[in-house]
Amino acid sequence: MTQKNKKEKKAPILVQMGIFAGVLWVSSVISGILPSSFIVPTPVIGLVLLYLLLTLRIIKVEWVEEFGMFMISLIGFLFVPSGIQIANDLGILREEGLQIVFVIIVATIALLVVTAYVTRFVIAIHRRIDKKREQIAQGGDKDGSFE
Amino acid sequence: MAALNNNLALPFTGIFISLAVFLLGQWLFKITKGFFLFQPLFFGMVAGIILLVIWGKIGGMPTSYVYRHYYKPGGDIIFWFLNPATIAFAIPLFKRNAVLKKYWFDILISLVISSVIALFIILGASKLVGLSHQSAAAMLPQAATTAIAMPVADAIGGNAAITAMACILKAVILYALADAFIKLFRLQGSKIGLGLGLGTGGTVGSAKALEFGELEGAMASVCVVIIGIVVDLVVIPFAQIFM
Repeated sequence: MTQKNKKEKKAPILVQMGIFAGVLWVSSVISGILPSSFIVPTPVIGLVLLYLLLTLRIIKVEWVEEFGMFMISLIGFLFVPSGIQIANDLGILREEGLQIVFVIIVATIALLVVTAYVTRFVIAIHRRIDKKREQIAQGGDKDGSFE
Repeated sequence: MAALNNNLALPFTGIFISLAVFLLGQWLFKITKGFFLFQPLFFGMVAGIILLVIWGKIGGMPTSYVYRHYYKPGGDIIFWFLNPATIAFAIPLFKRNAVLKKYWFDILISLVISSVIALFIILGASKLVGLSHQSAAAMLPQAATTAIAMPVADAIGGNAAITAMACILKAVILYALADAFIKLFRLQGSKIGLGLGLGTGGTVGSAKALEFGELEGAMASVCVVIIGIVVDLVVIPFAQIFM
């Protein structure tokens, strides 16, 4: 496939925006229909929906890629208003700002370290199970392909 | 004067402030060759808040009024675009389908188990320092990307603004200290584990993971997406049971 060919398949930017708008609209309707005991924010549904549309080849990646990657490149900037939102409630920082920062540091380390170790553990167990199954199946001793 | 006041309350103000502080941060970050406190988003947040505080002091208004009246109309417009930006992460995820197909089971199980363990640690730390309910609840969904973490925080009675701040601070901490943490806790034993761990730090974490290798980077960018879904499914019942 030549570069030119690829370029021709790219959907016009307005069509790409239309697909995003459609996925978001459907997601927000689904999010509204779900019972209040099962809250799923619109972006979560949209993420899954768009992924399924791509994976099931209902839409082509060329139809959404340009606009999508552009939006992702903006994401740091798009977070600015959510950061400034705390200006609405600075009292809470005065009262427990230090404690909050402490918990954030703990959370950052906990998420990083726990995830890394749990994953290592899960993969080791999974590999052992696979190996055992393989040995039972054929008595062979093939090396696991993980990592 | 009344007309000026009205026009200042239009979205132009918030949009301009947001861009100005972010661009200033980008510039400072560049000329200081990446000084961690000048990370554009973090700098933008702090500078924006300081600006609103000063505006309030000069105008004799509380900061919260300045925020709601002058900044929020424009801020909300930018904020809305987090929706398409967040679902756009389906595209890099789709491109990782090969690695995802191979490891989806390990990734999913690992992330579910780790988030439950991490939630207990976070809740324990919150209880230890005596955080109020709305702050403690705000701490729980911070592994997810902001656009997902904030509505989840809302749903469990947390202060979503605190959650947003947590997501930003987490990125600053990881940017500055990830190397030290990785060495200190010996995290390089598993490439997949390291990648997923760094992925809990959002886009900054993923960028870091890419420095270690292709597989680490792929895992981190997969994790950024999957952890958002896992947080939604795990944090809400966790908060209902344990808070």
